[in-house]
Amino acid sequence: MPYRFLPHTADVAVELTASSEPGLYQAGLDALRELLVGTSPAVPAEERPIERRGADATERLIHFLGDALYLYDTERFVPVRVSPSGIYGQRFDPARHAAVREVKAVTHHGARVEVDDAGYRATIIFDV
Amino acid sequence: MIIERIDSYRWRVPKHGGMRTEALIFADEGLMRDLAGDAAVQQLANVAHLPGIVGPAIAMPDIHWGYGFPIGGVAAFDEESGVVSPGGVGYDINCGVRLLATPIKIQDARPRLAELMDRLYGAIPSGVGAARSDLRLDVRELNRVLQHGARWAVERGYGDDADLEAIEANGALADAEPDCVSTRAKERGRDQLGTVGSGNHFVEVGYVAELYDDRVADRLGLGPGTVTVFIHSGSRGLGYQVCDDYLDTMIEATAKYGITLPDRQLCCAPIGSPEGRRYWGAMNAAANYAFANRQLMAHHARRAIATLFGEQTAERTRLVYDVCHNIAKHETHELAGRPRRVCVHRKGATRAFPPGHLELAPRFRDIGQPVLIPGDMGRYSYVLVGTERAFTETFGSTCHGAGRRLSRHKAKELARSRNVVKELEARGILVRAASRATVDEEIPEAYKDVATVVDVVDAAGIGRKVAQIKPVGVVKG
Repeated sequence: MPYRFLPHTADVAVELTASSEPGLYQAGLDALRELLVGTSPAVPAEERPIERRGADATERLIHFLGDALYLYDTERFVPVRVSPSGIYGQRFDPARHAAVREVKAVTHHGARVEVDDAGYRATIIFDV
Repeated sequence: MIIERIDSYRWRVPKHGGMRTEALIFADEGLMRDLAGDAAVQQLANVAHLPGIVGPAIAMPDIHWGYGFPIGGVAAFDEESGVVSPGGVGYDINCGVRLLATPIKIQDARPRLAELMDRLYGAIPSGVGAARSDLRLDVRELNRVLQHGARWAVERGYGDDADLEAIEANGALADAEPDCVSTRAKERGRDQLGTVGSGNHFVEVGYVAELYDDRVADRLGLGPGTVTVFIHSGSRGLGYQVCDDYLDTMIEATAKYGITLPDRQLCCAPIGSPEGRRYWGAMNAAANYAFANRQLMAHHARRAIATLFGEQTAERTRLVYDVCHNIAKHETHELAGRPRRVCVHRKGATRAFPPGHLELAPRFRDIGQPVLIPGDMGRYSYVLVGTERAFTETFGSTCHGAGRRLSRHKAKELARSRNVVKELEARGILVRAASRATVDEEIPEAYKDVATVVDVVDAAGIGRKVAQIKPVGVVKG
């Protein structure tokens, strides 16, 4: 599994691993989706643009996941797959999806992206 | 890190390294043992590094890890040389609690409790994506909410002027600047006004189980057996987004103003800087949204009561008080024998002004400000009043709740093979919840015993116990 939830008393911490930066976004998106709708099946039916921004890989990852969260909060857009210009996903469907929890934010706390021979590794804390 | 014991309920972290002041922790021995090795104490020491901090960096007995600043923390900054920090307020700006006292006695409510909980669950949307179908705000109207807070709600018939007297700052902070709130934040909050949300937020029906000060309890309408309604929520997605937006601004401002920090999450800006002033306007606007949010929910709770117990009962359901838990405010406090204007950050802490304070409505002047301390959904909550000692020692602040002891993951594991709703029902507490996951994560064992926390502030003199309230029904997200 490219993401793994870590023990954290107040919020939810997740460790992401991937072989590339977009792979890291995908792992983060998968973790975020599990937090939001659990393991309910979701399909990449529509695309929404997300502009990549941030001075470094850590900032870019935080902003990317923050933008995905914004789309869920305002449009009920369940994120599924990273695309070159944004994300694919589908509108929340009460018949298929369970609204598991509210995520307030993707925080900067302890966030870091590390790159070595083994690939990309990141830790992100979601404020829930 | 060196921690020195001052007395049975006070501990000090002496100034060391880059700390500009010492840190002061309110806790008993047991709570200090629990804190050993916890990052929250280091976070408190980090707060003491911030420019312009006056007095100690203070931790309440419910201190736990937070974003940058610990939750359960209080820090005051000089208005000229100090800073304002979104991390010192938190994501859920003006997360807070209000308490309603009904004229109903618990023995009369019990036979209709299930129906009351159903009506409350139907009247106050909870859970993820909760929105009010009867209230759609355009941007102009949302800006009015951000400017006028609970008064906006009262002027539209959701409550009355007596409610406003019983809200911290009368439910509207004058420094709100709706223009400083991003379109994105407004979009997130537009259809969430009057909704409780999820996580640790709730609407809870309870009754007055024990009194510690009959006279004050009576003045607050909290006679023995009185049925109460607690509402715990904040500024919803709008507040979260304001915090998120301004963290980016403040990270840049920290570098721009040459502020050295031990933790990047303490990012901040001088109070008088353009960045500081814009955050201030946005934070106050989000706080007003939260006041209006709780005002609307209280109105709908009263309507639910009216449908079951009659209009007169709903009219006689009074607001005891409404307090902020996550806020920064400009206040006057006495330092070195002189009054001084400071910017007090309270993150997971409650204002607890003493009797006689001029900011309190006349009806609270002789008893002090009511302070509401919710516990977990299985045990009890408390009503306290503010004290002179809190005013002189903690910038008029006290604790805010129980504080988590188990992670959500651990709590869920513990609850996996159980039916928490049934267990609570067997104990006389009815649960209405949008999601089982939330109930499992919020099991009573996930929290510290709030009585321990409240006993410390009472014994230390920074809050005085008035009444204990036990739950009989809870609406969770």
